[in-house]
Amino acid sequence: MTVELETANNHGGGEAVTALELLQREKECGSITTFSSQLDRALKGGLPVGKVTEICGAPGVGKTQLCLQLSVDVQVPLSFGGLEGQVIFMDTEGSFVLQRVGDVAAAVVRHFSLVAEDGEQKDAMQTFDMESILSNIFLVRCHDYVELLAELHLLPDFLRDQPRVRLLVIDSVAFPFRQQLDDLSLRTRLLQGLAQQLVSIATRHNIAVVITNQMTTRLQDSQSHLVPALGEIWGHASTTRILLQWEGSRQVAAIVKSPCCMDTAVQYHITSEGFRDVNQPENSDQPEIPLTERRSL
Amino acid sequence: MVWDQLPLPSRIPHLKSVREVLSLPAVDVQRLTGLAQPEVHQLLTVAAAVCRRHAPLTVLQLQRGECRRCESGLRLSVSCPVLDGLLRGGLPVGGITELSGPSGAGKTQLALQISLSVQYPVEHGGLGAGALYICTEDSFPIRRLQQMISEQAILRSEVPPSVISGLHFSDHVYIEHAADLDSLQVCLSRRAPVLLAAGLVRLIVVDSVAALFRSEFQTEDWLERNKQLLTFSTMLHQLSQEFTTPVLCINQVRGLKETFSLRFNPSRCASFCLRPLSSSVTPALGLAWANQVMMRLMMLRHQTTVSRGDQSSTLRRLEVVFAPHLARSKRDVGVWREGVRGVPVLE
Repeated sequence: MTVELETANNHGGGEAVTALELLQREKECGSITTFSSQLDRALKGGLPVGKVTEICGAPGVGKTQLCLQLSVDVQVPLSFGGLEGQVIFMDTEGSFVLQRVGDVAAAVVRHFSLVAEDGEQKDAMQTFDMESILSNIFLVRCHDYVELLAELHLLPDFLRDQPRVRLLVIDSVAFPFRQQLDDLSLRTRLLQGLAQQLVSIATRHNIAVVITNQMTTRLQDSQSHLVPALGEIWGHASTTRILLQWEGSRQVAAIVKSPCCMDTAVQYHITSEGFRDVNQPENSDQPEIPLTERRSL
Repeated sequence: MVWDQLPLPSRIPHLKSVREVLSLPAVDVQRLTGLAQPEVHQLLTVAAAVCRRHAPLTVLQLQRGECRRCESGLRLSVSCPVLDGLLRGGLPVGGITELSGPSGAGKTQLALQISLSVQYPVEHGGLGAGALYICTEDSFPIRRLQQMISEQAILRSEVPPSVISGLHFSDHVYIEHAADLDSLQVCLSRRAPVLLAAGLVRLIVVDSVAALFRSEFQTEDWLERNKQLLTFSTMLHQLSQEFTTPVLCINQVRGLKETFSLRFNPSRCASFCLRPLSSSVTPALGLAWANQVMMRLMMLRHQTTVSRGDQSSTLRRLEVVFAPHLARSKRDVGVWREGVRGVPVLE
């Protein structure tokens, strides 16, 4: 009996909503700051809760760093405009390193200690410290795609027990799915199922889902192009796609797919404190570069 | 696994293990088992619970060491305090570390040194076990290893001499030669697991990766080469994870401006998407390999020399190209009789 009831609930939204209700819900959802004000501005506030965002880029460009930053930023107290949420971090590559999380967390605590103004914010800082930040990050290590699928299958139950989770990070989806899976049609079907699961988790539990992807080269007309891995069909999985790349010695975050933001690109860099803006010189008047001026992907 | 414990109504054809249940889309499972949707859901939940290694832990619990199987921040020292400082402790015990550089830069020197440093007990930065050293290019430099062994007391002057003399270094470096991909595969699938499971070895060195993958494939076969690279790196990752063992892969380099005879060259395209280095060379094997590497280090040779006492050495530089926990930084390095030592940074 209970199983049937559960299925009925699991079986899909069901009830109809008006567009106005949907808009209101979306406004209430909030977003997670990236700690780069330019990127936040380009994303109209930050990484959206309730949606799936994909971050792609070559190795070493900063995908994991941005994920670690978001894992700390989601916990920013409500009195500072944050979500005061928890995060579940699924690490498939082994790149989640404690030392680094510590650096990022310490920098965020320092920042908010300095800007705390009124009593409410100062009170919030009493409990917003390194220990509490580390206690709000749930880590799962997946060694292959089967383990990743298993964890995602068990995730809804976990989220019911931990209602404060506001962010799910999978770093990366590409790594396990490109190993050991020679059958490309099976891979495509599994990825499609995965994409649907992620959207469902994002909307049903009101959390931001962030997934990272690798880059690969694709041959087209005897030219090789750099494209996000996992194929064309996977490109439909996320609502927003952010491409991190090197341009000469600069690091640029380009929003290449988004329903609400114009195609823009902003410069960033990774400091000892985490993911940050690059300080623009005084006479620079265009921190955001419209994508049309740049070579498209 | 625990197939019998799963709530299956009757014998199921095509599904023989828990992992198989999970690696199919739910729709396929439903079709193969003939179960109703809620029962399939229950089956998948039980299978998933069996498959997962441990429930989600908080990072605080991890830091307090509450999960013995998980990343504990353990590092393998490289036997030099300056270089350990560059690496914030040393090599991570999970994942592949790549050390690339032009020939003569000193990569093999550093790899030999790490093959000795792994043998020290944990309190002296080692892992208390030996090293599996797989040579794919030249024959193993046994004389140099013996020389380094005899000078360990000088290199590791902070370690009590009784500890050093108690370690029989040459007994614990297991040397394999792999002249082609097949023998490399045999080594990794048969020899390595035996040594790792017995606790005899807790470091795998491949010197070098490039040699086998560059020579065995013509440039047109890059798809096939990438496939083989992926198989090889998957094996290394599995070994690394299962036995919490650092893996060090030495790689060659190629010039950024090298032209190729083909109209298209995927490696060239890919190299421009990787971080520009201070040098004019880039690690070989392209993006497919770079995606498998967790920590990328590069060793370059310089024109100047540095001297210490009665020895002099051509100056090298060890650079962190990328790593999840390290800033892009470098240290000057000398190669001495006793080993590889970083030049201390002047404040």
